[in-house]
Order: sequence, then structure tokens, then C-alpha cells
Amino acid sequence: MGGQVAEKRITVRATRFDPAKDSAPRLQSYDIPFSDESMVVLDALNYIKAHVDGSLSYRWSCRMGICGSCGMTVNGTPKLTCSAFLRDYWPGSVTVTPLNNFPIVRDLVVDMEDFMHKLKSIKPWIIRKQEMPLGAGEHRQTMDQIDDFRQLSQCINCMLCYAACPVYGLDDKFLGPAAIALSRRYNLDSRDEGTKERLPVLASSDGIWECSFVGECSVVCPKGVDPAKAIQQTKLDTTMRFVLPFGNRD
Amino acid sequence: MAAGWWTKKRHYFLYIVREFTALPLALWLLWLLYEIYRAGRGPAHFYAPSSTAFVIFSVICLAFALYHSFTFLSLAGVILHFKVLDKPVRSRLIVISQFGLWLVASIVIGAVLIGLGR
Repeated sequence: MGGQVAEKRITVRATRFDPAKDSAPRLQSYDIPFSDESMVVLDALNYIKAHVDGSLSYRWSCRMGICGSCGMTVNGTPKLTCSAFLRDYWPGSVTVTPLNNFPIVRDLVVDMEDFMHKLKSIKPWIIRKQEMPLGAGEHRQTMDQIDDFRQLSQCINCMLCYAACPVYGLDDKFLGPAAIALSRRYNLDSRDEGTKERLPVLASSDGIWECSFVGECSVVCPKGVDPAKAIQQTKLDTTMRFVLPFGNRD
Repeated sequence: MAAGWWTKKRHYFLYIVREFTALPLALWLLWLLYEIYRAGRGPAHFYAPSSTAFVIFSVICLAFALYHSFTFLSLAGVILHFKVLDKPVRSRLIVISQFGLWLVASIVIGAVLIGLGR
């Protein structure tokens, strides 16, 4: 009486959009085997591309939550698809759409140009008023000094926070959570002397004051960066910098 | 973005409720300003509001005020950051101390108002 065990399957719906042919994005449904409990949404997309439809386009790279490439909207929530397990959705279906608030290039691929421009505008690198000669040795930091910015340095630029941010969705001029969090990461770094250079961008009308503390950016952040906290603390620091007559300035 | 974006997630909805609490509070404060104006014109122009509609309105405003205070004090723990003996103070400790101060302030103000009323 050795009856065959029915193969477990899952329905994955993915956005399809070819700007040369389609007037608007549409959802296409794929019924694929759910053979392994450790399968993630990215595995499902890779299965579809390899076995069902090779024309499906999406970004991915490391497959381990480090590169930040595979961010998409899974059942309405921005997620890294390499960290979204199918078992959490089965027996229901999984709907994969591109990250919200960004123009679609093709299928699940979004245009990152705006984010890249904003990232560059806050100068996410160590700025020194005067560089030390190489022979002078490295810039040393205590563990407490590293702890000041360690959490913020975990950002992998996956843009999930932008996809979750209604402020950015309503006004894409807003500098956005990741860029502000990263600027704070460098402003808090004891080796950095570039706060004054970043301030005009941060304190502009499209900077920190646009944020109304919705907080969803911190909820969806896959690395626990807490950009909402970084933005509110930057607001406080910027205000103190303006109000205090002597302290807290370069 | 669609106009109903805030209905898509519980977190978005609670955010809108949080922001909305400012509206009934503003209305109640406008009423208070009007009462102060009336009281300023002398005892003949002032009478204590006691209609059922006013009591219901005030109770609704109180509920919104309490929710507003709760969210404000909870979020302030995220925003405030300072160090004691070179160690950052935990957010939870800041939040608990804020709620403690809120309770003490409420007791003191309540005692003063009851004292003045006697």
C-alpha cells in the first residue's frame, strides 16, 4: 500500500512589467514545488527563472542578508527575499512586487538612482579637516567610541526603509531614512570632522524635519539599524547645536 | 501613493491616530481660551459649563489626551540620549522615569486644583 506522498506546492505571484510592451505592471502566477522547509522567497524566484520562465527579472547577489540587493515587497511588506521563508506563508500564496515608492525598471527591478544620489549627498565617508600622514599611524578608537555608531554602521543600503516610508512615498524629495542614519553614523564617529559639511543637507527642508516619526522604517530594517531613532536624535542634536551658545559645535 | 495608504497596516493606522489626537486637544484648548476670555469679563459673564454634550466632548478629549501623552512619553525615550559615567542611559529607563514624572506632576497639579477649589 505504498501510495505516493503528494508533492507540497506553493503559489507565487510576481510582478511582470516590460516598459517596451506593457502599459502597467501586472501579476503573474506560478505554481512551484515547495520541496524544502528552508526555501526562501528568493529560492522560489530562482526556481521560476531556472525552470519556468527565464525572462523574470530581479536583483540578488549574496543570498545571505548581507548585500542588500534582493529587497522586494512580499505580501505587502518590504523584505529581503533571501530572509523571507516560504514556510511562513504556506499554505497561503506569496505575492512578490517591487519595492514601493520607486519607479519600476522591469518586473521586480526598481530604479535606485534617486537613493544613490541622496546617499552621495550626505558624504558617507570619513572627512578630516587635515589628513594625517600615513606614517603617523592609524586613527585609534575606544570600544565606547565605536559603540556610539556601531548599530548605524550595519546599514546595507537595501532601501527597505524607503519602501516602508509614507513620507518618502508622498514626497520623494525627502532625504530618507537610510541616508540620514548613515550621515549620523559618520557624525558620531570620533575620527570624523565633517558634521558641518553634512549639516546643510540634513537640516534642509527636505532633510530630517520632513520626517514625522511614522517609525515603519525601523520595523522593516533587516539589520536593526533603527533609522527612525537616528533621525529623531539628529533632530535633537541639530536643535541643541542651534540653541546652545557654546557647546556641541566644531 | 493612494489616499488610503494608512489603512493598509496597523502601524500606519496607529501613527495616524497618534497624529489625529492633536486635533481634539486643539479644539478643547480653543474652548479653554474662550472660557478664560469670558471669565476675564467678570463673574456676570461666566457660568460653569455643565451640559451633557460638553461632558461627553471633554471625556473624549481626555481619552485622546491620555493616548497622546502615552505615545509622546514612550517615543521621547527613543529620542532622548545621554550618558552617565560614560555609559549611555537605556531607553527603557528614560521612558519609565518620564512616566514617573508624569504621575508625580499629575498628583501635584491635582492636589493644587483640589486645594484651590475648597
